[in-house]
Amino acid sequence: MKLNNPELISRLASEYVLGTLRGGARRRFVQLMQHDAALREAVATWEAHLTPLADLVEPIAPPRRVWNNIEARIGATAASNRSNAETNQNAAGNAISGGGFWGSLPFWRGLGVVGSTAAAILLAATLRSAPVAVVSPDPMVVAVLEDNGEARLIVEQPKSGYVMVKMVKPWNGPDDHSLELWVIPKDGAPRSIGLVSDSVDTKLIKTDMDVRLTDGTLFAVSKEPKGGSPTGAPTGAVLCKGVIARMPAKTSPPRPGQGQI
Amino acid sequence: MADIALNERLAAMLSRAGIGDKKAFAELYDATKSKLFSVSLRIVRERHLAEEVLQDSFVSIWNNAAGYATAKSAPMTWMTAIVRNRSLDLVRRPRLELQDEEEFFTLNLEDESLGPQDQLVQARDKSRIEHCMKGLDGEQLQSVSLAFFQGLSHSEVAEHLGRPLGTIKTHIRRGLLRLKGCLES
Repeated sequence: MKLNNPELISRLASEYVLGTLRGGARRRFVQLMQHDAALREAVATWEAHLTPLADLVEPIAPPRRVWNNIEARIGATAASNRSNAETNQNAAGNAISGGGFWGSLPFWRGLGVVGSTAAAILLAATLRSAPVAVVSPDPMVVAVLEDNGEARLIVEQPKSGYVMVKMVKPWNGPDDHSLELWVIPKDGAPRSIGLVSDSVDTKLIKTDMDVRLTDGTLFAVSKEPKGGSPTGAPTGAVLCKGVIARMPAKTSPPRPGQGQI
Repeated sequence: MADIALNERLAAMLSRAGIGDKKAFAELYDATKSKLFSVSLRIVRERHLAEEVLQDSFVSIWNNAAGYATAKSAPMTWMTAIVRNRSLDLVRRPRLELQDEEEFFTLNLEDESLGPQDQLVQARDKSRIEHCMKGLDGEQLQSVSLAFFQGLSHSEVAEHLGRPLGTIKTHIRRGLLRLKGCLES
């Protein structure tokens, strides 16, 4: 559908920019704008007219934490550039402390809290990945593993058979232990994927993975005795963890004049 | 926003941010944060929401700075539109309780000191749109201002001014037409 009446276009654009176009009408207008250059132009014209009014407001300085958060989020962007992932924003993960972790899996899995850093990384990966949408028949699995809201590792499975573990923030601790990566299905015990480096990327060949990597499946890294867990199950503190997000990336480039991105 | 030198500086910061220059991006933030925070705060009316809007907007600005060159609008207009749209998206959700103006200002508008950058932004030429706004009738001016600055909908403006909804819609439509005539003359 397309609007043809120039007066109507201008009126709708003016009320969109003023802000009085609301609710369903506003959403519909935004949709129409995606495919209608005349609408975008009308909006750009009205933005040029009205938006400078905003200059009349008395400035109010935002608190410092706003910038700190922005910086953290765009910092995450830089980290994610290395992952070159096509992912979605449905990353999840939350922060918990070490010891009681394994015993409380069901508890925090139920929370479904989206870690802001993880979400930012995946969003950024989406925005910064290939400029056109690529729908892969076998979408890449990605998880951002966090510790207290801070991204430490990105786990990717570009295709079945191996897993890439990319370092975001190295530990560089004393070399008297090993880090072990686990995959934890929604209803099952943790399975070891292998040992990962505490300072550089690790590629793990894993051809016998019997866990289906679906949304909600969890990755976690535990601290284990040198050589890995002696029992085949995690024994040490959880250093970071994150829930899988998978979906073919579908992004559209930002539209000029739309003012909403 | 008619200040050409300032807009050129902002455009330069934006294009440097577009190639990943975080220092330029930080300067851009410093030069515009207080205006944009104020713009959002007046619409969403709660500091934590305005902070959220500012954060999301600047992450978007960072991610899309490289595409700004094609936007064909002045940098401050481009950024303000992003902030306004995000703010309006927020108030589209269940309407926040409208507070008495005075209470609103006491609760929300305690200021932190302004740096020289802010004053620079503040000092820019805004005479044209101001001049045109002054050409509106009393109720037209009030209606357009309430909608623009406070993010009020037609019916909220009607309630606020104690006038029928149809009257307010007419005020706003005619007010916008008159502004357009004035700005394009």
